[in-house]
Amino acid sequence: MKYSYNWLKELTETKKTANEIAELITMHSFEVESVEKVGSSFAGVVVGKILEIEKHPNADKLQLTKVEIAKDEILNIVCGAHNISVGDIVPVATVGAMLPNGIEIKEAEIRGHKSFGMLCAEDELGLGASHEGILLLDKEIKIGTAFGEVMNNEDEILDIKVLPDRAHDAVSHVAMAREIIALEGGEMDYDYDGLILENKKAKNLNVSIENDELCPRYIGAVLSGVEVKNSPDWMSARLEACGIKAINNIVDATNYVMLELGQPLHAFDFEKVSDMQFPISNLQTPSKSQDSNFKNQTATITVRSAKDGEDLELLDGSIKKLINGDIVIANEKEILALAGIMGGKESGISSETKTIIVEAATFKPLSIRRTRSRLALFTDASSRFEKDLDPNLAEKAMVRVMEILEHIAGAKFEGVVDIYPKKIKSWTLKLELAYIDKLLGVKVPPKTSQNILKSLGLKVTLKNDYIVTEIPTFRIDLKSQEDLIEEIGRIYGYEKIENVAPKVSITGAKQNEARVFERALKRILTGQGFSEVYNYSFYSAADANLTELGHIKHLELEMPLSPEYSQLRISLIPNLLKNIRENLKNYNEFNIFEIGRVYWPACIAMQSIADRPSEDGLPLEKNMIVGAMVLGKKSAKLEKMDKRHESGFFEAKAAVDHVLAQLGILDHYYDNFNGVPIETPSSLWHQSRSAEIKIEGSEKSIGFVGEINPFVLEGFDIHTRVVMFEFDSEKLLEISNEEREYAPIRKHPVVTRDISMIAEGGVLVDEILQVIQRAGGELILDVDLFDAIDFADDTTSFAFHIILGANERTLMGKEIDDTMNNVMNKIEEELKVKLRK
Amino acid sequence: MLKQKIAEIKNEALVEIEKSTSMEIVNDLRIKYLGRKSEFTNILKGLKDLDGEERKEVGQLANTVKVELENVFTEKENELKKKSFDFVAEKIDVTMPAKKIVRGHLHPLSKIQYEIEDIFVSMGFEIADGREVETEFYNFDALNVPKDHPARDMQDTFWLKNEGKKEKLVMRTQTSDTQIRFMEKHQPPFRIIAPGRVFRNESTDTTHEHTFHQFEALMVGDDITVGNLKFVAEQFFSKFFKADVKVRLRPSYFPFTEPSFEFDISCTVCGGAGCGACKGAGWLEIGGAGIVNQNVFEAVGYERNKYQGFAWGFGLERLAMMKYKIDDIRLFHSGDLRFIKQF
Repeated sequence: MKYSYNWLKELTETKKTANEIAELITMHSFEVESVEKVGSSFAGVVVGKILEIEKHPNADKLQLTKVEIAKDEILNIVCGAHNISVGDIVPVATVGAMLPNGIEIKEAEIRGHKSFGMLCAEDELGLGASHEGILLLDKEIKIGTAFGEVMNNEDEILDIKVLPDRAHDAVSHVAMAREIIALEGGEMDYDYDGLILENKKAKNLNVSIENDELCPRYIGAVLSGVEVKNSPDWMSARLEACGIKAINNIVDATNYVMLELGQPLHAFDFEKVSDMQFPISNLQTPSKSQDSNFKNQTATITVRSAKDGEDLELLDGSIKKLINGDIVIANEKEILALAGIMGGKESGISSETKTIIVEAATFKPLSIRRTRSRLALFTDASSRFEKDLDPNLAEKAMVRVMEILEHIAGAKFEGVVDIYPKKIKSWTLKLELAYIDKLLGVKVPPKTSQNILKSLGLKVTLKNDYIVTEIPTFRIDLKSQEDLIEEIGRIYGYEKIENVAPKVSITGAKQNEARVFERALKRILTGQGFSEVYNYSFYSAADANLTELGHIKHLELEMPLSPEYSQLRISLIPNLLKNIRENLKNYNEFNIFEIGRVYWPACIAMQSIADRPSEDGLPLEKNMIVGAMVLGKKSAKLEKMDKRHESGFFEAKAAVDHVLAQLGILDHYYDNFNGVPIETPSSLWHQSRSAEIKIEGSEKSIGFVGEINPFVLEGFDIHTRVVMFEFDSEKLLEISNEEREYAPIRKHPVVTRDISMIAEGGVLVDEILQVIQRAGGELILDVDLFDAIDFADDTTSFAFHIILGANERTLMGKEIDDTMNNVMNKIEEELKVKLRK
Repeated sequence: MLKQKIAEIKNEALVEIEKSTSMEIVNDLRIKYLGRKSEFTNILKGLKDLDGEERKEVGQLANTVKVELENVFTEKENELKKKSFDFVAEKIDVTMPAKKIVRGHLHPLSKIQYEIEDIFVSMGFEIADGREVETEFYNFDALNVPKDHPARDMQDTFWLKNEGKKEKLVMRTQTSDTQIRFMEKHQPPFRIIAPGRVFRNESTDTTHEHTFHQFEALMVGDDITVGNLKFVAEQFFSKFFKADVKVRLRPSYFPFTEPSFEFDISCTVCGGAGCGACKGAGWLEIGGAGIVNQNVFEAVGYERNKYQGFAWGFGLERLAMMKYKIDDIRLFHSGDLRFIKQF
């Protein structure tokens, strides 16, 4: 909210500058976002009286004037405007004056006549856009008065970000003044407690509240005999300084009190509310010029919830459709105002208005907030009513506004209706003095604590080791000892609290195994040339469809920012594919990975991902690891020689082997993609170039590796092959944690023999390896494929190193030969393979 | 006589060694002159037949010559060995580019997160985990956020479509839910940190993201004070920025802490004197903090006013942006390698 420095100064009598106040408030109360100068001191501009006007002999449009600006000081000034006449009181900019619009006044000669100053129009003084003519002032103003004094609009505006827990009380000048006084230790000259409503029942106003939850308090006062006109300058200056446009004295007075006390008010034209507005018979036509007429009329106001479909034309001319739950002020026929947000056009104050109803009420904050956000109506009133206003404040504001209206509009108080079924009373809190020091970590003298609370408007009694406080109703945020300690701490000054090392026992922090594991994984992957990306946790339904995940139920956001981010991801792959598409614009070869959560609806998690049921029926969050590789083009020769080279599958497989080896997992194997695991539909992968990764002795897959289905890639506008691998981080952690024993270093030499063969199409390398292992028995320590060439007739040439050895002895030549013969025989017997000898 | 013979052998050997042009020749010469069957060895063998005085003299001379010849042989061998390798022929252009080793890059937020974790772990903090999809209870109720608080609005929070469950689910709006989950299972004293991903229903621009990362610290004991909070914060930031960093508390409001603070650190660029980075203020706004609200302790089943603790949280992105001078928060989730490869 914008606060006027002049106003705060008047309330606090502070000697501090606006910037000093801003610093003080920032450190102890609220953040001051800016301090801005408004208005002007109008240095060099004085009030003058026009003594003579003559036509300029050399220019048709100009006039020569003589202007008195002080006793015996008369200036010759050339002027172009024609709205002036002798005797007018006008602002005169004297030589040397610097006007708010940037013009510096100099002695000048205009068509042969000297001019010693300038008569000013509004725009030249920065008071408006009007250049219609010279600004004519009140004839009562003394000649020679500094124009700055007349305007009195020089001010500094502090834009203060009031915290949410104080939004119900601190958005007013009186409250901010209270803060300043608490910080400076002064006393406020504002009788808040003395604002008490005179209990005089309004004869011709009925008010009923349909539901006091929607409206805990409603005060309506009838004021007669008002004269609607412009507000006095001091009032419009303050309103405009605080960013509120001055309209007329009635509306301005309500706004002024809102800025002063924080309570929004509304004024209705009594006659437009009353039942006589549409007379049933023509026998008695009310005459607007006779304000005594109002005595024959009765206004009946109901505070109620709108009905679906009702509408209302607001003060700003817009027509809004209302729904049940919007609070409205209505008479028997129609809706008069959208409560707490904006008045209706029909019932507003006009220049004809003679009698008014002023409303000071409290409405249900949640309802106000819902209505204003639905209708996108952010008004000064709604911003206050959507916080928990103190119903007792309504009364104070009513007294204050009547006082002002009496003064500036000649209003006469006719009576009031005050509906306030559940009165809010002050409450007491006991605060232990020792607790203050124990929580803040600094010793605050008891007397200081007492004074701070007192200066904030609390009634305080200091006892031996505790303070009893009575909390005024405007501080509904003060409900606990800690709340009071916060008040003491911030006013006393947090800078006075010294840094103290906490006293704790030395305990080693328990390691978070999952996080340590994740970090290790990232290190391994980056070590292998994979760069880490972070993606959003969401994708679109279209992305899910493109990646064959569309048929699986996803968790969805109720109100996503856009459909692009509406589904909670169940796989990291869709967003990684988008990363690949975008990065292909800059790179043609890269490896990326992401480690992040996927979110499974509880119902699916329970049926299908049974190895880790979700807790408390909540969605299952799994931490996934996906690596993706885009490989550069191989030479045509290499690709022609072996279709395996164009795939990149084996690069991914190598990466997987390497990652797993570093995690201590060596006993894994690759199996054709068999099952259709729900986590990663097989249709997402290239059906003949993907595999499940399993651990020896288990049929359960621990991860997947393979090319992404070319049709899926096409859907993402990716026109190169992409290989990925995918693991569930927790599963991987479990496996890597399993104990692995050290194998003693072999003492006896090993022997390597090579064999090569031509295999018919369809023979798997794994089949050959299994035959070799079985035939060679325990003497075969390892088998390595070291060459593979595909031929046009669908046969493939394979060459293996076979490593033989025994633990306890050196193998004899014959033993080796026998084993190799056995191996070779078995291969030819069992497989469609011819050995090359 | 013998002395003269030794001198002759020596001279002859020196001449031949000097003339030799290969390792083989040197080897042959070594055998010829110092080998078991050489004349020289024979002389040494014959020493025992000589008289005392002569034996001594000849013996000494023979030994000297032997050592001398050995040295000359070694020298010659070294000389020949050096000559045997043609370095000139192996000359390469060392300014040619090296073969590229593909390097992977850790995401900048991971780097920042690990730095932070390491500092806290060194101070004995444990790392706690939470959920990203939370219940209304953990994200709001237990944290003392009033039922009709604006933060619960659709405008600020991503709610999930109801799956027919009683309790509404939400993308967590802060990592403070982890506090609750941890405290439900542990008794004070403890100190934890909880880094993690959080979500706000907010349009994105260069400084706003709907998905970002927070870092939560929570320390609870019998008498943890505001003074302790300031101490730990200063320790942390001084280590993180590797400088003497001061911490300043200003009043703030969060439902889950009372009192609540905004906390500023002395500008890491100018040290507090005022510069462009801190807009002349000398301070940088870093995050929120406070003393844990007793209502929160009650929500996790602790007795009211039995414990005291502090909590604070800040955005990882903000720290990363400060540290690496990144000007657009959206880059973090862009997946753009032109960005990531810089870290």
